[in-house]
Amino acid sequence: MIFGKTKLELKVGIFVFAGLVILAFFVLSIGKFRTWTSGYQVSFLFDFINGVKVGAPVRFAGMDVGEVKAVGINFLPQEQKTQVQLYSWVKSGVKIPMDSEIWINTLGLLGEKYVEIIPGGDYSQCLEAGQVMTGVDPVPMHEVMRTAKGIVDNLNQTVTKINSGEGTAGKLLGDDTLYNNLEELSEDLKRHPWKLLWKTKEDK
Amino acid sequence: MKIISYSFFISVGRSVRTLLYYLGGLASLTMQTVHQIFVPPFKGYRVMVQIKKAGFDSLPIVILVSLFIGFIFALQSAYFMQRIGSEMYIASLVALALVRELGPVITALVVAGRVGASITAELGSMQVTEQIDALEAFASNPIKYLVVPRLLALIIVLPILTLFADIVGILGGYLICVYKLGISSSMYLQVTFDSLLPKDLNTGLFKTIFFGIIIAMISCYEGFNVEGGAEGVGQSTTRSVVLTFIAIIIADCFFTAIFYFVFP
Repeated sequence: MIFGKTKLELKVGIFVFAGLVILAFFVLSIGKFRTWTSGYQVSFLFDFINGVKVGAPVRFAGMDVGEVKAVGINFLPQEQKTQVQLYSWVKSGVKIPMDSEIWINTLGLLGEKYVEIIPGGDYSQCLEAGQVMTGVDPVPMHEVMRTAKGIVDNLNQTVTKINSGEGTAGKLLGDDTLYNNLEELSEDLKRHPWKLLWKTKEDK
Repeated sequence: MKIISYSFFISVGRSVRTLLYYLGGLASLTMQTVHQIFVPPFKGYRVMVQIKKAGFDSLPIVILVSLFIGFIFALQSAYFMQRIGSEMYIASLVALALVRELGPVITALVVAGRVGASITAELGSMQVTEQIDALEAFASNPIKYLVVPRLLALIIVLPILTLFADIVGILGGYLICVYKLGISSSMYLQVTFDSLLPKDLNTGLFKTIFFGIIIAMISCYEGFNVEGGAEGVGQSTTRSVVLTFIAIIIADCFFTAIFYFVFP
Protein backbone atom coordinates (compact mmCIF):
# COMPACT_ATOMS: atom_id res chain seq x y z
CA MET A 1 0.00 0.00 0.00
CA ILE A 2 1.02 3.58 -0.61
CA PHE A 3 0.58 6.06 2.22
CA GLY A 4 0.69 9.77 2.98
CA LYS A 5 2.90 11.94 0.86
CA THR A 6 3.47 9.39 -1.90
CA LYS A 7 -0.25 8.77 -2.25
CA LEU A 8 -0.83 12.51 -2.59
CA GLU A 9 1.91 12.76 -5.19
CA LEU A 10 0.42 9.81 -7.06
CA LYS A 11 -3.02 11.45 -7.23
CA VAL A 12 -1.60 14.80 -8.35
CA GLY A 13 0.57 12.99 -10.89
CA ILE A 14 -2.38 11.09 -12.37
CA PHE A 15 -4.44 14.27 -12.54
CA VAL A 16 -1.78 16.39 -14.26
CA PHE A 17 -0.68 13.59 -16.60
CA ALA A 18 -4.26 12.88 -17.73
CA GLY A 19 -4.70 16.61 -18.37
CA LEU A 20 -1.57 16.71 -20.51
CA VAL A 21 -2.72 13.65 -22.48
CA ILE A 22 -6.06 15.32 -23.26
CA LEU A 23 -4.25 18.53 -24.23
CA ALA A 24 -1.96 16.61 -26.59
CA PHE A 25 -4.97 14.83 -28.09
CA PHE A 26 -6.77 18.13 -28.73
CA VAL A 27 -3.72 19.84 -30.17
CA LEU A 28 -2.98 16.97 -32.55
CA SER A 29 -6.60 16.60 -33.66
CA ILE A 30 -7.25 20.28 -34.17
CA GLY A 31 -3.90 20.99 -35.81
CA LYS A 32 -5.11 18.96 -38.84
CA PHE A 33 -2.85 16.95 -41.12
CA ARG A 34 -0.59 19.92 -41.90
CA THR A 35 1.55 19.18 -38.85
CA TRP A 36 3.20 16.22 -40.44
CA THR A 37 2.49 16.43 -44.16
CA SER A 38 4.42 18.75 -46.40
CA GLY A 39 2.88 20.85 -49.11
CA TYR A 40 3.38 23.80 -51.35
CA GLN A 41 1.89 27.26 -51.84
CA VAL A 42 0.01 28.21 -54.97
CA SER A 43 -2.48 30.94 -55.69
CA PHE A 44 -5.62 31.20 -57.74
CA LEU A 45 -6.92 34.37 -59.37
CA PHE A 46 -10.59 35.19 -59.65
CA ASP A 47 -12.60 38.24 -60.58
CA PHE A 48 -15.31 37.25 -58.15
CA ILE A 49 -15.03 34.73 -55.32
CA ASN A 50 -18.59 34.57 -53.99
CA GLY A 51 -17.50 34.71 -50.34
CA VAL A 52 -14.74 32.10 -50.02
CA LYS A 53 -13.25 32.35 -46.54
CA VAL A 54 -9.79 31.62 -45.16
CA GLY A 55 -9.72 27.92 -44.28
CA ALA A 56 -12.02 26.90 -47.12
CA PRO A 57 -11.01 23.51 -48.54
CA VAL A 58 -9.34 23.07 -51.93
CA ARG A 59 -10.61 19.97 -53.72
CA PHE A 60 -8.81 18.27 -56.57
CA ALA A 61 -10.88 15.65 -58.40
CA GLY A 62 -13.36 15.83 -55.53
CA MET A 63 -10.85 15.13 -52.78
CA ASP A 64 -9.71 17.55 -50.08
CA VAL A 65 -6.06 18.26 -50.83
CA GLY A 66 -5.48 21.63 -49.20
CA GLU A 67 -7.00 24.86 -48.00
CA VAL A 68 -7.12 28.59 -48.59
CA LYS A 69 -4.57 30.29 -46.32
CA ALA A 70 -5.23 33.93 -47.17
CA VAL A 71 -7.38 36.07 -49.43
CA GLY A 72 -5.85 39.15 -51.02
CA ILE A 73 -7.17 41.82 -53.34
CA ASN A 74 -5.17 43.15 -56.28
CA PHE A 75 -5.91 46.24 -58.28
CA LEU A 76 -4.55 46.11 -61.82
CA PRO A 77 -3.94 49.72 -62.96
CA GLN A 78 -3.34 48.88 -66.65
CA GLU A 79 -6.58 46.97 -67.11
CA GLN A 80 -8.54 49.07 -64.62
CA LYS A 81 -10.00 46.09 -62.76
CA THR A 82 -9.81 44.32 -59.43
CA GLN A 83 -8.83 40.71 -58.97
CA VAL A 84 -8.98 38.53 -55.90
CA GLN A 85 -6.11 36.18 -55.18
CA LEU A 86 -6.60 33.06 -53.06
CA TYR A 87 -3.29 32.03 -51.49
CA SER A 88 -3.68 28.31 -50.97
CA TRP A 89 -1.74 25.42 -49.53
CA VAL A 90 -1.80 22.10 -51.40
CA LYS A 91 -0.49 18.76 -50.18
CA SER A 92 2.73 17.71 -51.85
CA GLY A 93 2.31 14.86 -54.31
CA VAL A 94 -0.79 16.39 -55.85
CA LYS A 95 -0.05 17.42 -59.43
CA ILE A 96 -2.36 20.07 -60.84
CA PRO A 97 -2.10 20.36 -64.64
CA MET A 98 -2.08 23.90 -66.02
CA ASP A 99 -5.16 23.17 -68.15
CA SER A 100 -7.29 22.23 -65.12
CA GLU A 101 -10.56 23.99 -64.62
CA ILE A 102 -10.75 25.89 -61.33
CA TRP A 103 -13.99 27.26 -60.01
CA ILE A 104 -15.81 27.98 -56.79
CA ASN A 105 -18.40 25.49 -55.68
CA THR A 106 -20.91 25.36 -52.86
CA LEU A 107 -20.94 22.54 -50.35
CA GLY A 108 -23.98 21.20 -48.57
CA LEU A 109 -26.96 22.85 -47.04
CA LEU A 110 -25.33 25.82 -45.34
CA GLY A 111 -23.65 26.95 -48.53
CA GLU A 112 -20.04 26.60 -47.49
CA LYS A 113 -17.83 27.65 -50.39
CA TYR A 114 -14.76 25.77 -51.56
CA VAL A 115 -12.31 25.76 -54.46
CA GLU A 116 -13.02 22.95 -56.89
CA ILE A 117 -10.30 21.81 -59.31
CA ILE A 118 -11.35 19.56 -62.20
CA PRO A 119 -8.11 17.94 -63.42
CA GLY A 120 -7.04 18.71 -66.96
CA GLY A 121 -5.37 16.23 -69.30
CA ASP A 122 -1.93 17.73 -69.96
CA TYR A 123 0.36 16.54 -67.19
CA SER A 124 3.53 17.79 -68.92
CA GLN A 125 2.85 21.24 -67.48
CA CYS A 126 1.89 21.24 -63.81
CA LEU A 127 1.37 24.00 -61.28
CA GLU A 128 4.62 24.61 -59.37
CA ALA A 129 5.02 26.09 -55.90
CA GLY A 130 4.39 29.83 -55.93
CA GLN A 131 2.71 29.88 -59.32
CA VAL A 132 -0.58 31.55 -60.08
CA MET A 133 -3.52 30.13 -61.99
CA THR A 134 -6.63 31.91 -63.18
CA GLY A 135 -9.95 30.39 -62.30
CA VAL A 136 -13.35 30.42 -63.92
CA ASP A 137 -15.52 32.98 -62.15
CA PRO A 138 -18.63 31.72 -60.45
CA VAL A 139 -21.83 33.22 -61.78
CA PRO A 140 -23.28 35.57 -59.16
CA MET A 141 -26.68 34.55 -57.90
CA HIS A 142 -28.40 37.69 -59.18
CA GLU A 143 -27.16 36.98 -62.74
CA VAL A 144 -28.68 33.52 -62.57
CA MET A 145 -31.92 34.99 -61.29
CA ARG A 146 -31.98 37.61 -64.05
CA THR A 147 -31.50 35.00 -66.81
CA ALA A 148 -34.09 32.74 -65.24
CA LYS A 149 -36.53 35.62 -65.01
CA GLY A 150 -36.05 36.40 -68.73
CA ILE A 151 -36.79 32.79 -69.66
CA VAL A 152 -39.84 32.61 -67.43
CA ASP A 153 -41.17 35.90 -68.85
CA ASN A 154 -40.87 34.60 -72.42
CA LEU A 155 -42.52 31.33 -71.51
CA ASN A 156 -45.31 33.21 -69.78
CA GLN A 157 -46.04 35.26 -72.90
CA THR A 158 -46.15 32.12 -75.07
CA VAL A 159 -48.47 30.31 -72.69
CA THR A 160 -50.76 33.34 -72.50
CA LYS A 161 -50.99 33.41 -76.33
CA ILE A 162 -51.72 29.68 -76.52
CA ASN A 163 -54.41 29.95 -73.86
CA SER A 164 -56.13 32.81 -75.66
CA GLY A 165 -56.17 30.72 -78.88
CA GLU A 166 -53.62 32.74 -80.88
CA GLY A 167 -51.28 31.09 -83.41
CA THR A 168 -51.13 27.53 -84.74
CA ALA A 169 -50.57 25.91 -81.34
CA GLY A 170 -53.36 27.97 -79.80
CA LYS A 171 -55.80 27.00 -82.56
CA LEU A 172 -54.77 23.35 -82.27
CA LEU A 173 -55.74 23.41 -78.61
CA GLY A 174 -58.71 25.78 -78.67
CA ASP A 175 -60.39 25.15 -82.04
CA ASP A 176 -62.15 21.77 -82.54
CA THR A 177 -62.72 22.04 -86.33
CA LEU A 178 -59.82 19.71 -87.06
CA TYR A 179 -61.24 17.15 -84.62
CA ASN A 180 -64.68 17.29 -86.22
CA ASN A 181 -63.21 16.90 -89.69
CA LEU A 182 -61.18 13.87 -88.62
CA GLU A 183 -64.21 12.29 -86.98
CA GLU A 184 -66.30 12.80 -90.13
CA LEU A 185 -63.54 11.27 -92.22
CA SER A 186 -63.28 8.17 -90.02
CA GLU A 187 -67.08 7.78 -89.97
CA ASP A 188 -67.14 8.04 -93.74
CA LEU A 189 -64.35 5.47 -94.10
CA LYS A 190 -66.17 3.05 -91.76
CA ARG A 191 -69.28 3.26 -93.85
CA HIS A 192 -67.52 3.11 -97.26
CA PRO A 193 -64.26 1.18 -96.82
CA TRP A 194 -63.96 0.72 -100.61
CA LYS A 195 -63.02 4.43 -100.81
CA LEU A 196 -59.51 3.45 -99.63
CA LEU A 197 -59.00 1.21 -102.64
CA TRP A 198 -60.98 3.13 -105.20
CA LYS A 199 -58.95 5.11 -107.69
CA THR A 200 -60.46 8.13 -109.32
CA LYS A 201 -60.55 8.31 -113.07
CA GLU A 202 -58.71 11.64 -113.10
CA ASP A 203 -55.52 9.88 -111.85
CA LYS A 204 -55.15 7.98 -115.05
CA MET B 1 -37.51 67.31 0.97
CA LYS B 2 -34.03 68.46 1.71
CA ILE B 3 -33.42 65.62 4.15
CA ILE B 4 -34.63 62.97 1.68
CA SER B 5 -32.28 64.14 -1.07
CA TYR B 6 -29.35 64.34 1.36
CA SER B 7 -29.92 60.81 2.60
CA PHE B 8 -30.13 59.55 -1.00
CA PHE B 9 -26.74 61.01 -1.88
CA ILE B 10 -25.28 59.80 1.39
CA SER B 11 -26.37 56.21 0.67
CA VAL B 12 -24.98 56.36 -2.89
CA GLY B 13 -21.70 57.75 -1.59
CA ARG B 14 -21.55 55.10 1.10
CA SER B 15 -22.05 52.22 -1.32
CA VAL B 16 -19.45 53.63 -3.72
CA ARG B 17 -17.03 53.95 -0.81
CA THR B 18 -17.76 50.35 0.29
CA LEU B 19 -17.16 49.12 -3.26
CA LEU B 20 -13.88 51.02 -3.54
CA TYR B 21 -12.74 49.71 -0.14
CA TYR B 22 -13.57 46.19 -1.24
CA LEU B 23 -11.74 46.47 -4.57
CA GLY B 24 -8.79 48.15 -2.86
CA GLY B 25 -8.53 45.39 -0.27
CA LEU B 26 -8.79 42.73 -2.95
CA ALA B 27 -6.13 44.39 -5.10
CA SER B 28 -3.86 44.84 -2.09
CA LEU B 29 -4.22 41.16 -1.13
CA THR B 30 -3.56 40.13 -4.77
CA MET B 31 -0.41 42.26 -4.97
CA GLN B 32 0.91 40.89 -1.69
CA THR B 33 0.16 37.32 -2.85
CA VAL B 34 1.93 37.83 -6.18
CA HIS B 35 4.89 39.28 -4.28
CA GLN B 36 4.93 36.37 -1.81
CA ILE B 37 5.01 33.83 -4.68
CA PHE B 38 8.58 34.94 -5.39
CA VAL B 39 9.75 35.07 -1.77
CA PRO B 40 11.66 31.96 -0.63
CA PRO B 41 11.34 29.38 0.85
CA PHE B 42 9.31 27.63 -1.86
CA LYS B 43 7.23 24.78 -0.49
CA GLY B 44 5.82 22.66 -3.31
CA TYR B 45 4.13 20.29 -0.92
CA ARG B 46 1.45 22.75 0.19
CA VAL B 47 0.61 23.48 -3.47
CA MET B 48 0.32 19.73 -4.08
CA VAL B 49 -2.14 19.34 -1.22
CA GLN B 50 -4.28 22.10 -2.71
CA ILE B 51 -4.04 20.64 -6.23
CA LYS B 52 -5.30 17.34 -4.87
CA LYS B 53 -8.14 19.03 -2.97
CA ALA B 54 -9.19 21.39 -5.75
CA GLY B 55 -8.35 19.29 -8.79
CA PHE B 56 -8.31 15.56 -8.20
CA ASP B 57 -11.26 15.63 -5.81
CA SER B 58 -13.31 17.85 -8.15
CA LEU B 59 -12.88 15.50 -11.10
CA PRO B 60 -16.00 13.33 -10.49
CA ILE B 61 -18.40 16.25 -10.29
CA VAL B 62 -16.82 18.10 -13.23
CA ILE B 63 -17.02 14.95 -15.36
CA LEU B 64 -20.61 14.27 -14.31
CA VAL B 65 -21.78 17.82 -14.99
CA SER B 66 -20.05 18.17 -18.35
CA LEU B 67 -21.22 14.74 -19.52
CA PHE B 68 -24.80 15.77 -18.90
CA ILE B 69 -24.22 19.19 -20.47
CA GLY B 70 -23.06 17.31 -23.58
CA PHE B 71 -26.19 15.10 -23.49
CA ILE B 72 -28.50 18.08 -23.07
CA PHE B 73 -26.83 20.13 -25.76
CA ALA B 74 -27.00 17.32 -28.30
CA LEU B 75 -30.64 16.52 -27.48
CA GLN B 76 -31.79 20.12 -27.53
CA SER B 77 -30.08 20.91 -30.81
CA ALA B 78 -31.22 17.60 -32.33
CA TYR B 79 -34.83 18.65 -31.84
CA PHE B 80 -34.37 21.57 -34.19
CA MET B 81 -31.59 20.29 -36.44
CA GLN B 82 -33.58 17.18 -37.36
CA ARG B 83 -36.37 19.36 -38.69
CA ILE B 84 -34.05 21.11 -41.12
CA GLY B 85 -32.23 17.87 -41.87
CA SER B 86 -28.76 18.84 -40.68
CA GLU B 87 -28.07 16.51 -37.76
CA MET B 88 -24.49 16.39 -39.00
CA TYR B 89 -23.83 19.86 -37.63
CA ILE B 90 -24.82 18.94 -34.05
CA ALA B 91 -21.25 17.71 -33.66
CA SER B 92 -19.71 21.07 -34.47
CA LEU B 93 -22.31 22.89 -32.38
CA VAL B 94 -21.54 20.76 -29.32
CA ALA B 95 -17.78 20.98 -29.82
CA LEU B 96 -17.69 24.73 -30.34
CA ALA B 97 -20.05 25.53 -27.47
CA LEU B 98 -18.17 23.28 -25.04
CA VAL B 99 -14.63 24.24 -25.94
CA ARG B 100 -15.29 27.96 -26.21
CA GLU B 101 -17.74 28.70 -23.42
CA LEU B 102 -19.49 25.94 -21.53
CA GLY B 103 -16.39 23.93 -20.60
CA PRO B 104 -14.48 26.84 -19.03
CA VAL B 105 -17.48 28.52 -17.41
CA ILE B 106 -19.19 25.42 -16.03
CA THR B 107 -15.89 24.16 -14.63
CA ALA B 108 -15.16 27.53 -13.05
CA LEU B 109 -18.64 27.68 -11.50
CA VAL B 110 -18.37 24.12 -10.13
CA VAL B 111 -14.93 24.85 -8.68
CA ALA B 112 -16.12 28.18 -7.27
CA GLY B 113 -19.00 26.46 -5.52
CA ARG B 114 -17.01 23.51 -4.29
CA VAL B 115 -13.51 24.82 -3.65
CA GLY B 116 -14.05 28.57 -3.25
CA ALA B 117 -16.66 28.06 -0.55
CA SER B 118 -14.41 25.64 1.33
CA ILE B 119 -11.48 28.08 1.17
CA THR B 120 -13.59 30.89 2.61
CA ALA B 121 -15.03 28.67 5.33
CA GLU B 122 -11.59 27.31 6.25
CA LEU B 123 -9.80 30.67 6.36
CA GLY B 124 -12.84 32.26 8.01
CA SER B 125 -12.91 29.84 10.91
CA MET B 126 -9.13 30.25 11.28
CA GLN B 127 -9.68 34.00 11.43
CA VAL B 128 -12.49 33.66 13.97
CA THR B 129 -10.45 31.36 16.23
CA GLU B 130 -7.44 33.69 15.90
CA GLN B 131 -5.24 31.07 14.27
CA ILE B 132 -4.19 33.60 11.63
CA ASP B 133 -3.01 35.97 14.38
CA ALA B 134 -1.15 33.02 15.87
CA LEU B 135 0.64 32.43 12.57
CA GLU B 136 1.75 36.04 12.53
CA ALA B 137 2.90 35.73 16.12
CA PHE B 138 5.18 32.89 15.01
CA ALA B 139 6.64 35.21 12.34
CA SER B 140 5.02 33.13 9.61
CA ASN B 141 3.33 35.17 6.89
CA PRO B 142 -0.30 33.99 6.60
CA ILE B 143 -0.45 35.10 2.97
CA LYS B 144 2.63 33.06 2.10
CA TYR B 145 1.36 30.10 4.11
CA LEU B 146 -2.34 30.12 3.16
CA VAL B 147 -3.09 32.19 0.05
CA VAL B 148 -0.11 31.47 -2.23
CA PRO B 149 -0.62 27.66 -2.39
CA ARG B 150 -4.33 28.08 -3.08
CA LEU B 151 -3.78 30.64 -5.83
CA LEU B 152 -1.09 28.56 -7.55
CA ALA B 153 -3.14 25.37 -7.22
CA LEU B 154 -6.26 26.96 -8.76
CA ILE B 155 -4.24 28.46 -11.64
CA ILE B 156 -2.84 25.01 -12.41
CA VAL B 157 -6.03 23.06 -11.79
CA LEU B 158 -8.65 25.01 -13.73
CA PRO B 159 -7.18 24.56 -17.24
CA ILE B 160 -6.73 20.83 -16.58
CA LEU B 161 -10.29 20.44 -15.30
CA THR B 162 -11.53 22.39 -18.32
CA LEU B 163 -9.76 19.96 -20.64
CA PHE B 164 -11.54 17.10 -18.87
CA ALA B 165 -14.86 18.93 -19.17
CA ASP B 166 -14.31 19.55 -22.91
CA ILE B 167 -13.47 15.97 -23.76
CA VAL B 168 -16.22 14.47 -21.59
CA GLY B 169 -18.81 16.91 -22.95
CA ILE B 170 -17.86 15.99 -26.52
CA LEU B 171 -18.15 12.34 -25.49
CA GLY B 172 -21.67 13.07 -24.16
CA GLY B 173 -22.69 14.61 -27.49
CA TYR B 174 -21.08 11.65 -29.25
CA LEU B 175 -23.09 9.11 -27.25
CA ILE B 176 -26.39 10.84 -28.02
CA CYS B 177 -25.64 11.37 -31.70
CA VAL B 178 -24.26 7.91 -32.39
CA TYR B 179 -26.59 5.79 -30.27
CA LYS B 180 -29.79 7.83 -30.47
CA LEU B 181 -29.70 9.79 -33.72
CA GLY B 182 -27.77 7.22 -35.72
CA ILE B 183 -24.97 9.44 -37.02
CA SER B 184 -21.90 7.41 -37.88
CA SER B 185 -19.10 7.50 -35.36
CA SER B 186 -16.30 8.55 -37.70
CA MET B 187 -18.52 11.24 -39.22
CA TYR B 188 -19.20 12.74 -35.78
CA LEU B 189 -15.52 12.85 -34.84
CA GLN B 190 -14.55 14.30 -38.21
CA VAL B 191 -17.10 17.11 -38.04
CA THR B 192 -16.11 17.82 -34.43
CA PHE B 193 -12.43 18.25 -35.12
CA ASP B 194 -12.96 19.98 -38.46
CA SER B 195 -14.97 22.72 -36.85
CA LEU B 196 -12.58 23.32 -33.94
CA LEU B 197 -9.77 25.79 -34.51
CA PRO B 198 -6.67 26.14 -32.33
CA LYS B 199 -7.97 29.57 -31.35
CA ASP B 200 -11.08 28.07 -29.74
CA LEU B 201 -9.01 25.87 -27.46
CA ASN B 202 -6.43 28.56 -26.68
CA THR B 203 -8.94 31.22 -25.70
CA GLY B 204 -10.99 28.70 -23.72
CA LEU B 205 -7.97 27.62 -21.69
CA PHE B 206 -6.50 31.11 -21.37
CA LYS B 207 -9.51 32.54 -19.62
CA THR B 208 -9.67 29.71 -17.09
CA ILE B 209 -6.36 30.97 -15.65
CA PHE B 210 -8.12 34.23 -14.83
CA PHE B 211 -11.13 32.38 -13.45
CA GLY B 212 -8.70 30.57 -11.13
CA ILE B 213 -7.23 33.88 -9.96
CA ILE B 214 -10.74 35.30 -9.40
CA ILE B 215 -11.87 32.28 -7.36
CA ALA B 216 -8.70 32.16 -5.22
CA MET B 217 -8.49 35.87 -4.50
CA ILE B 218 -12.17 36.53 -3.69
CA SER B 219 -12.43 33.40 -1.51
CA CYS B 220 -9.26 34.19 0.43
CA TYR B 221 -10.19 37.86 0.84
CA GLU B 222 -13.62 36.97 2.17
CA GLY B 223 -12.05 34.40 4.48
CA PHE B 224 -9.60 36.90 5.94
CA ASN B 225 -12.34 39.46 6.48
CA VAL B 226 -14.75 37.39 8.52
CA GLU B 227 -16.22 39.35 11.42
CA GLY B 228 -18.08 37.88 14.35
CA GLY B 229 -18.33 34.18 15.01
CA ALA B 230 -19.77 31.20 13.20
CA GLU B 231 -22.53 33.35 11.72
CA GLY B 232 -19.92 35.62 10.17
CA VAL B 233 -18.24 32.61 8.56
CA GLY B 234 -21.56 31.59 7.00
CA GLN B 235 -22.24 35.09 5.69
CA SER B 236 -18.76 35.42 4.24
CA THR B 237 -18.99 32.04 2.53
CA THR B 238 -22.30 32.95 0.90
CA ARG B 239 -20.95 36.31 -0.20
CA SER B 240 -17.77 34.74 -1.54
CA VAL B 241 -19.68 32.25 -3.74
CA VAL B 242 -22.10 34.90 -5.02
CA LEU B 243 -19.33 37.40 -5.81
CA THR B 244 -17.20 34.74 -7.49
CA PHE B 245 -20.09 33.65 -9.73
CA ILE B 246 -20.81 37.24 -10.75
CA ALA B 247 -17.13 38.00 -11.35
CA ILE B 248 -16.65 34.86 -13.46
CA ILE B 249 -19.63 35.59 -15.69
CA ILE B 250 -18.61 39.23 -16.18
CA ALA B 251 -14.99 38.26 -16.86
CA ASP B 252 -16.19 35.68 -19.39
CA CYS B 253 -18.27 38.25 -21.24
CA PHE B 254 -15.26 40.58 -21.21
CA PHE B 255 -12.91 37.90 -22.60
CA THR B 256 -15.38 36.86 -25.30
CA ALA B 257 -15.69 40.47 -26.39
CA ILE B 258 -11.89 40.83 -26.51
CA PHE B 259 -11.18 37.55 -28.30
CA TYR B 260 -13.97 37.62 -30.86
CA PHE B 261 -14.75 41.28 -31.44
CA VAL B 262 -11.79 43.50 -30.50
CA PHE B 263 -9.12 41.14 -31.91
CA PRO B 264 -11.07 38.72 -34.11
